[in-house]
Amino acid sequence: MSAISELSKLSTRRALSPEDRAARRKEASRDNKAGYLFLLPWLVGLFAFTLGPMLASLYLSMTDYNLIQTPSFIGLDNYARMLDDARLHQSLRVTFTYVVVGVPLQLALALAIALLLDKGMRGLPIYRSIFYLPSMLGGSVAIALLWRQIFGTTGLVNQVLQLFGVPATTGYVSDPQYALWTLILLHVWTFGSPMVIFLAGLRQIPTMYYEAASLDGAGRLKKFLTITMPLLSPIVFFNLVLQIIGAFQSFTQAYVVSNGTGGPSDSTLFFTLYLYERGFTNFQMGYASAMAWVLLVIIAAFTAINFFAAKYWVFYDD
Amino acid sequence: MATSRRQFLTMASLGAMGAGLGLAGCSRGGGGGTGGGGGEDGVGLTFTWWGNEVRNANTSEMIAAYVEANPGITIEEQPGEWASYWDRLATQTAGNTAPDVIQMDMAYISEYGQRGALLDLAEHGIDVSGFVEGTEASGDIEGKSYGVNAGINTPVIMVHADLLEELGIEMPDDTTWTWDDWLELATSISEASGGDVIGTSTFISNDSMLSGWLRQQGKELFVPGNEPGFTVDDIVTWLEYHQQFADAGAIPSPSQITEDSSVPLDQSMFVTGRTAMSMWWSNQLEAVEAAAGKEFAFLRFPSIAGDALQRKAWYKASMLWSVSARTAHPEESVALINWLINSTEANEIQLAERGIPANSEVASVIEPLLSDGQQRVLTFINDIVPELGETPIAPPPGGGQLSPLLLRYATDMLFGNIGAREAAEGFYDELTAALGA
Repeated sequence: MSAISELSKLSTRRALSPEDRAARRKEASRDNKAGYLFLLPWLVGLFAFTLGPMLASLYLSMTDYNLIQTPSFIGLDNYARMLDDARLHQSLRVTFTYVVVGVPLQLALALAIALLLDKGMRGLPIYRSIFYLPSMLGGSVAIALLWRQIFGTTGLVNQVLQLFGVPATTGYVSDPQYALWTLILLHVWTFGSPMVIFLAGLRQIPTMYYEAASLDGAGRLKKFLTITMPLLSPIVFFNLVLQIIGAFQSFTQAYVVSNGTGGPSDSTLFFTLYLYERGFTNFQMGYASAMAWVLLVIIAAFTAINFFAAKYWVFYDD
Repeated sequence: MATSRRQFLTMASLGAMGAGLGLAGCSRGGGGGTGGGGGEDGVGLTFTWWGNEVRNANTSEMIAAYVEANPGITIEEQPGEWASYWDRLATQTAGNTAPDVIQMDMAYISEYGQRGALLDLAEHGIDVSGFVEGTEASGDIEGKSYGVNAGINTPVIMVHADLLEELGIEMPDDTTWTWDDWLELATSISEASGGDVIGTSTFISNDSMLSGWLRQQGKELFVPGNEPGFTVDDIVTWLEYHQQFADAGAIPSPSQITEDSSVPLDQSMFVTGRTAMSMWWSNQLEAVEAAAGKEFAFLRFPSIAGDALQRKAWYKASMLWSVSARTAHPEESVALINWLINSTEANEIQLAERGIPANSEVASVIEPLLSDGQQRVLTFINDIVPELGETPIAPPPGGGQLSPLLLRYATDMLFGNIGAREAAEGFYDELTAALGA
C-alpha cells in the first residue's frame, strides 16, 4: 500500500522538501533491508559454502598440497606446469570437442522438437513430458551405465546390427575412435530442458505477426527466418550460455562410462575428470585447484564472448 | 516479449556465475565423520574398512565381540566401498578427522605413511611374533611399521579346467611351465574353440605378473628411493610379448579389454567363461567361484627358467591394519589390531575372508572351519614356501599409478595407435613423474 501512496505523491507533487526526501530515503533503505533479509539464506550459503571454499581453492592453487601434509606455497608453479602437461592438453581437446559439437547439435534438436510440439497437437503435455524425461535422466549414473551396455561390444546396438546381418563387434564406448561420440550422443539426447524453454519462448511470440506475414504472402520458411528466429533469439542465447557452461562441467557421464579413467586412450578424458584424477587419485590437490580456476576462467571467457557476440544477433523486442 | 533485456542478462550472468563458482569451489570436499574423540567415560575408537556384504557382517560381529570383552571401549564403524573409500579417507585425513583404525592397502600405504599420516605400530606394541616368514614386515617402510598384514595373498592363475577338457587340451604342469607356454596354451585354446573361448584374459597391465616376470630377471617393480626397478627396454620386451598374444588372437580385443577392466567381477570375461584363464589373487578364489557357480583350477604363475623353484613368488598382504598418526588412543588402537591378527576368537569369525591369517598358529586353528575353496588356498599358500623370493617393498607414493598407466599405454598400443617402444617410453616417463610428485 505504501508504494502506491508513494507513487501518487510522486505524480502530484513535483518539488520535495529536504525533509521529505530524507524520509523517502529512510523508507527506501527499510525496503532494502527487507530485501536483504529475504536474501539472507542464499547469502549465507554463498559465503559459507561457495565463496569461502573458492578463496581456499584459490590459495591452494598456489600450493603443493597432497591432502595429508600442510600445503606449501609455490606461487604460480602449478599454472606453469600446465603448459607442459600433455594430458591436460588432451583433456582440453576432448572437452572443447564435446562442447563445440555437442551443444549446437543439442540446441538444434531441442528447437526442432519445440517447433513440432508448438503446432498445438493433441496430447501435447504427454509428448512434452516424454521428451523432457532424458534431461532429468541424462546426468544420472544409471543412464551412463545403460549407455555402457548399449554401446558395448555385445551391446544393444551391435545386437540390432547383427540382426540385419552386419558383423558388428565394435565396442563403441571402449574404442577411442567412437567413445567420445557416444558421450556427445548422450548429451544431445538430453535436449529436454532447452526444448521446454524454447517451447515457452515460441508460445510468447504474438500470432498477429504471423497473420500479418501470411497476408503479405510470406511462406513458412520466410516466417521462421524473419519472425520466429529474431523473436526467439534471446531464448536461443539463454540456452546457449547455460548449455555451454553445463557442457564444460560434464563429469558423471564420462566418469561412469570410462570407470573414472577417461579411457580408452584418454579419448573421454574430460577436463573435470582429469581434475578429479589429479586431486583424488594422485593426491595433487594444489594442481587440481589450479585446474579448477583455469576452467572458471575458460567458462567466464566463453560466456563473455557469448555476451559480446550477442550484440550482433540477439534481438530484444522491448 | 515477457523477458526484458535487463532481466534476462541478470538471469543469465547469475546462472553463469553460479555454475562457474560451484566448480572452482569444489576442490575441497567436506570430510564428515567424527575424529577419534573419547567417549564420555572410556575410550571411543573409529574403525574404517572397505569390503563386501560378507566382510561387513564379519567385521561388525568381530567388533561386537571385542567391545563385549573390553568394557569401556566403544567402536564406531565406518564401512565403505573400495571405489569411494580412498576419496573419503583422503578428505578425512585432510580435515584431521581420520579414523583411528584404518584398513589399508599396499598401493596406498606409502602415500599415507611417508607423509606422516600413519602411526609407527612397532612403537606402540604391535605383536607379529607369531607371523610366518615373509609376512611380518609387509607394512614396514624405511624402518617404520605403518601397517600390519591382515591376511596373506599370493597371485594365482585360475583356469576353466572343464573348458580345457572339452577342447581336448591338457592342463599345463605349473611347476615347469614358462611364459612362452602360457602364450602357446592360450593360442591353442582360441584356435581349438574357433574363437568362442579366448585363450586368456590379458595380463598386460597386471602389476603382479609384471612384478613376477621382472623378479625372475633380478629386477623389481620398485626399488628404495621411490624409483622404478626396471628400464624402458624391459617394458618394450613385456609389451612385445603381449603383442604376440594379440596377434595370435589369444587375448580379447582392445575394446573388450577396456570393457573388461571396468565391469564388476561377476560380469568379467573370465567369470562368464569367455576367456579360459585369468590372473587373480588367491583370496579372490571364493568370490570368483561363487560368481561363476563352479570350481576353478588354479596354477602357479610361470617362470622364465621353467622351474617353479625359481619363480620368485611372494606373499602379499591382501590388506593391512594401520592407525592414524593423529589418534588420541594409540595404545587402544594397537591393542584392537593385535586382537584382530592374533586371536583365534576374531579369526574364527572372519576365517579367511581377508586372506589367510599371517599368524600361523591362528591359521592352523581355523583350518578345519574353512570352506573347501579356502582350504585349497591354504594348502597352496603352504605348498609354495620353497618358491618364495624376497618380499617386494611397498609401492612408493604414486606407485599405485603403475597399473592404470600401463593399461592406458598398452591399450593404445593394442589399438595400433603407437608402437611398443613409444608406449614403453610414455609409460616410463609418466610413471617416474608420478613417483617424483
